[in-house]
Amino acid sequence: MSDDIAVGIDLGTSYSCVATAQGDGAPPAVLPNEWGERTHASVVSFLDDGTVLVGNDAKKNIITNAENTVYSAKRLIGRFYFSDEVKKAQAVMPYRIVEGPNNSVRIGVRDKIFSVPEVSALVLKEMKAIAETALGREVKKAVVTCPAYFNDNQRQATKDAGRIAGLEVLRIINEPTAAALAYGFGRDINQKICVYDLGGGTFDVSILEIGKDVFEVLSTAGDTYLGGDDFDDRIMTWLADDFLAKHGLDLRQNKFCLQMLKEAGERAKIDVGRDGVAAIQVPGICQSPEGEVIDLAQKLTQDQFNRMVMDLVQRTFKVCDEALQSARLTAGDIDAVILVGGPTRLPIIRNSVRHYFQRDPMTGVDPDEVVALGAAIQARALLSTTAATAGQASYLLDVTPLSLRVGTVGGFTEKIIEKNTPIPIEKSKTFTTSRDGQDRVRIRVYQGESNRADGCELLGEFEFTGFRIGYRGEVQIQVTFEIDSNGIVNVSATDLETGQKTSTTISLSSGLSEQDLRKAIDDNAGIELARGPRAA
Amino acid sequence: MDAQFLIEVETLAAALDQLDYYGVLKIPATATPPEIKAAYYRESRTFHPDRYAAVPSAEVRDLVGRIYRRVNEAYTVLRDDRKRARYLADISGPDRERKLRFTEADEAAVKEEQKRKLEEQLGQTPNGRKFYAAALTEIQAGRWDAAERALKSALMYEPGNARFKEQLALVAAEAEKLRPKGDYRIK
Repeated sequence: MSDDIAVGIDLGTSYSCVATAQGDGAPPAVLPNEWGERTHASVVSFLDDGTVLVGNDAKKNIITNAENTVYSAKRLIGRFYFSDEVKKAQAVMPYRIVEGPNNSVRIGVRDKIFSVPEVSALVLKEMKAIAETALGREVKKAVVTCPAYFNDNQRQATKDAGRIAGLEVLRIINEPTAAALAYGFGRDINQKICVYDLGGGTFDVSILEIGKDVFEVLSTAGDTYLGGDDFDDRIMTWLADDFLAKHGLDLRQNKFCLQMLKEAGERAKIDVGRDGVAAIQVPGICQSPEGEVIDLAQKLTQDQFNRMVMDLVQRTFKVCDEALQSARLTAGDIDAVILVGGPTRLPIIRNSVRHYFQRDPMTGVDPDEVVALGAAIQARALLSTTAATAGQASYLLDVTPLSLRVGTVGGFTEKIIEKNTPIPIEKSKTFTTSRDGQDRVRIRVYQGESNRADGCELLGEFEFTGFRIGYRGEVQIQVTFEIDSNGIVNVSATDLETGQKTSTTISLSSGLSEQDLRKAIDDNAGIELARGPRAA
Repeated sequence: MDAQFLIEVETLAAALDQLDYYGVLKIPATATPPEIKAAYYRESRTFHPDRYAAVPSAEVRDLVGRIYRRVNEAYTVLRDDRKRARYLADISGPDRERKLRFTEADEAAVKEEQKRKLEEQLGQTPNGRKFYAAALTEIQAGRWDAAERALKSALMYEPGNARFKEQLALVAAEAEKLRPKGDYRIK
């Protein structure tokens, strides 16, 4: 056994967590920071002195240093600038979101422009630092998790973030799969389970069959536009509308007020979930034109809250229906339900889940930590050459959440690999030239469930050159699409007759080039993490 | 990892293109779905790339990756009854050598077959569908004569539809039973 070490990192929309599993049989453990905090806000605050504050201290700066504090970056990662999610973020986020090359998203802070993976890399850098402090040694390798429903662009960007942070990303694994691993590892059970993962910004459902050491994902479904943030939004809207009616002032017009409102919304959600009622008090949230300081005071009851978010909750069960249907199961076939993510603490979620599956969700699984623990188990397995023979092994048989498609004429697409196909997998398709003397073939690759290209997510345009030149229809190029264990798509092509590999170039991709990445790695290494001032 | 396993991996990877999916999963063509799943788990335990992630040799990792991708491919086809039936027909035919891997053409054929069956259930032409739907309502209501007329009309548009003919035979028999006996006719 080498004394190499790898950690598991749950890189969340709102909170992140780092864990490790050491030794052969030891259970995994969360690594707390020096103040004993086990989860850390995924917030990055750029300070005046050039250092960067990450975590729960940075979260306080969302109000005091709003323009230079970036949160919920995961909502933007791997997205195109023109996507709805980015437009929505621009309206509510106090930091600057600008357009980069190839329709990518960039974040402007002070006089600098960052790509989204660079910002996420700072969160990962903090996780790495926490792990290093807790373990008292250097950490260079990690397994990083992402929502099961993330597409190739988002996975690639997450992987890039790890690299920028100076981590070798051993594997990107799906959050629900990690949770299932943490639940079933070493327990020698045979069960069909459902993981209901409602995070800060995304919702995933995975149905798994656990057979001793094998964790087979039967199906996965999700919604990358649905999360705890949307619950906060509902409370915010209610508060703001009410305030507008009472005082004639729209709190949403001012980004400073908006942040106070957001904080109040989040706290109210947590309070109402825990105590059944929330007293919302924000003294001096704004000033009237006459200079009068106005407080925000409201009371939110469980019933009111439930009515506000009912449709969101129902949306999650539509996704559950879809996942069960793909797995060809019904809710009654499920032996255990695991809840993951902070919002699953809400009674309305717990009750609805109980009602839908006709069984109580598993207790004893910490919804905030279980994903990081699973990632840590997987990290240990990937480092070990002996685990398999020592009987410590576990095998994750995961699937691709989205169908892989190629663009055809007239804006249509054709399916190459069906969603819920086990990965890694490869599939080939033969293309022929359509003109005499054609020396290049271009294909566009998409992910999604629509047969129209504009209903799918573009992964990139691949151009193949360097094959034989001949009359039209004569030259056949076999293109191989591979989805690897990370869920990341690789495309390559060969000339069918000569067997010669053609060269491939990718364009129209929102991702970072190798050159960008190298620069980002250097930049990241130069940024110092600030330690927040704390009362001891 | 021992030398014997290395040899096994190399031989298997080299022979991959000569094996059918049953061969890849090491099961007979008569295997039941639970047996297919068990075989898939067994092969996963042996060839899952995670097991070899820490192996220094890139060549071994590459070979294992190739084998495991084929294991997944085999499982994807064999766990699906329709695809499996088509595949079994393919590899039992004269073109076996070329059809060891399930291709896009097969995929399309399976889909086409499914569509044809569905259409036969409901009718292939707009008018055929219309009259057939009308016939079904009449049957529900027990109006056999009307049902018979509707089915005959449907068959005018789709003379070859086996499902329509089958229904017509049933309905005609029912209608016959209800017809007044005796041989008078109104002229």
